[in-house]
Amino acid sequence: MAVIAVTELVKTYVTPFRRRRVPALRGVSFAVEPGEVFGFLGPNGAGKTTTIRCLVGLCAITAGRAEILGAPVPSRAARQRLGFLPEHPYFYDYLTVGELLDLGGRLFGLDRSERRRRADRLIERVGLGRGRALPLKKYSKGMLQRAGLAMALINDPELIILDEPMSGLDPVGRKEIRDLILEQRDAGKTVFFSSHILSDVESLCDRVAICVGGQIRDIGKPRDLVDATTLDVEVTLALADDAPAEAVAAIAARGASSRRTPGELHLVVAAGGDVDDLLALARGHGARVLAVTPRHETLEDLFLRRVAAAGGGAGAEVMG
Amino acid sequence: MTASLGRIWAVALNAFREAVRNRVLYGVVALVLIFNLMAVVVGALSITEQARVARDLGLAGTSIGGGLTAIVIGVSLLYTEVQKRTIYAIISKPLARWEFVVGKYLGMALVLTVLVGLFTLAMVAMLSYRGVAVAGAVGQAVVLTWCEVLVVAAIAVFFSSFSSPFLSGLFALALWLIGRLTPDLRAAVATSEAGWIDAVSSATLAVVPDLHLFSVSGRAVDGHHVSVNGDFVGWGYVSTAAVHGALWIAGLLVLASLIFRRRDFV
Repeated sequence: MAVIAVTELVKTYVTPFRRRRVPALRGVSFAVEPGEVFGFLGPNGAGKTTTIRCLVGLCAITAGRAEILGAPVPSRAARQRLGFLPEHPYFYDYLTVGELLDLGGRLFGLDRSERRRRADRLIERVGLGRGRALPLKKYSKGMLQRAGLAMALINDPELIILDEPMSGLDPVGRKEIRDLILEQRDAGKTVFFSSHILSDVESLCDRVAICVGGQIRDIGKPRDLVDATTLDVEVTLALADDAPAEAVAAIAARGASSRRTPGELHLVVAAGGDVDDLLALARGHGARVLAVTPRHETLEDLFLRRVAAAGGGAGAEVMG
Repeated sequence: MTASLGRIWAVALNAFREAVRNRVLYGVVALVLIFNLMAVVVGALSITEQARVARDLGLAGTSIGGGLTAIVIGVSLLYTEVQKRTIYAIISKPLARWEFVVGKYLGMALVLTVLVGLFTLAMVAMLSYRGVAVAGAVGQAVVLTWCEVLVVAAIAVFFSSFSSPFLSGLFALALWLIGRLTPDLRAAVATSEAGWIDAVSSATLAVVPDLHLFSVSGRAVDGHHVSVNGDFVGWGYVSTAAVHGALWIAGLLVLASLIFRRRDFV
């Protein structure tokens, strides 16, 4: 059984007063399997956050169907087994992190000792032990994100939904979130998260879906989605600054493009170009080979291609 | 059912905590205490009716302080949750929206109950200082005031479920004042020869809670003079008025929950 099963999900916002209809999701379908880390990609306004809001019960579904662990969405049964971290988490800033987690535990019906035990463990796990006496209003963005993660995990959920969890974090903060996601996966949990940061998605996710204009454009394992063939080859040569101009020009002519930096010459050889011939020529002119790097399509290339094909990709820009 | 009560209590406790940590509330308490001090002074100026003036001012302070606090807290109760997006982390938990609305209201009711209790203590201290006997009628008056404050709070929460704090405050204040004028509206219906006055008054009476029921001094209710200084109504009347108030509160919370249930949080 899929942990998340979304079928032809449609969400149309209706603006107040003027009653203008703004389509945000136009028939989104995907499934997330148990134990997966699933990345949900898309440009601003693509429908990522709207999909997540529908899944966690913040927005009503206009048409289509969604299930979480077999329970229909929206339902209490579905929300009972998931943990959710909103984008830019806002919490009651007069609470301490302990009080916040106690509130979360109460909403899941945990008894007092269990609430305290889980809160203590999570506060230590997310590294907020030293800030637990402070009200949340004194927390930095990174600390709030960690408090939000602890709140999302208070019910020991089978499914964790994170909306842009790395957004606005410094490299250390991003690494902590990445480690936490991997830790949850190792514990057998399913993680579904949206992100703009493609390198994180590529390194973390078992599968990804690319959503553009309120529709899923691609879904699958990152390495299956991108084209495995070589796009071009980047060659970096060490070449003295006083090397004859005609030698530099001869070498550069073998590449599709070239760039000179102090002591170096960088070339891009188009796919199918004769790299061996280029290297032999370069050595003949006294150059040393520093690097030869074949370049394949990345998730970012695919993502940008899909966005460009959709003419920008925004579904309901204002609504997210 | 027990689980539902637990969730409602969690929300209520949080709403109570929020209010207690709100400094505006302490300003209101200070104002009511000042009001009671004024009652000591003004009561002393009255030669023949020191007791009546002292009691009336004390009760008026409780009523006005409680009602204004109910409106100030109530109008932002739901709106602020949506504006500040604090609701995202709460509604995504296994909590029904009506449980959230009821929990928020109960938390506020708890705050208002504590406030009315504090105001009453201040009034009793003031009356004792003036040497005015604290009759049982004062207790009945306080209970009625408390009921009125809770109804006003429910009105504010109802408007807060779909409107901004400013508009909600205006609407709630208007309904509070109109609700106090129900005898005048009834008189307008009975005596007016203009059809539209009759229609408007009747319509208003149908949709506005009769807050005059909770008004405790110097007025006539059902032909009887109601005053904390003389023949006050009995506990039967207080109970009936409380049931009236409870029905309005329930109705307003049901409406607020229905509106809130339909909302998308974006």
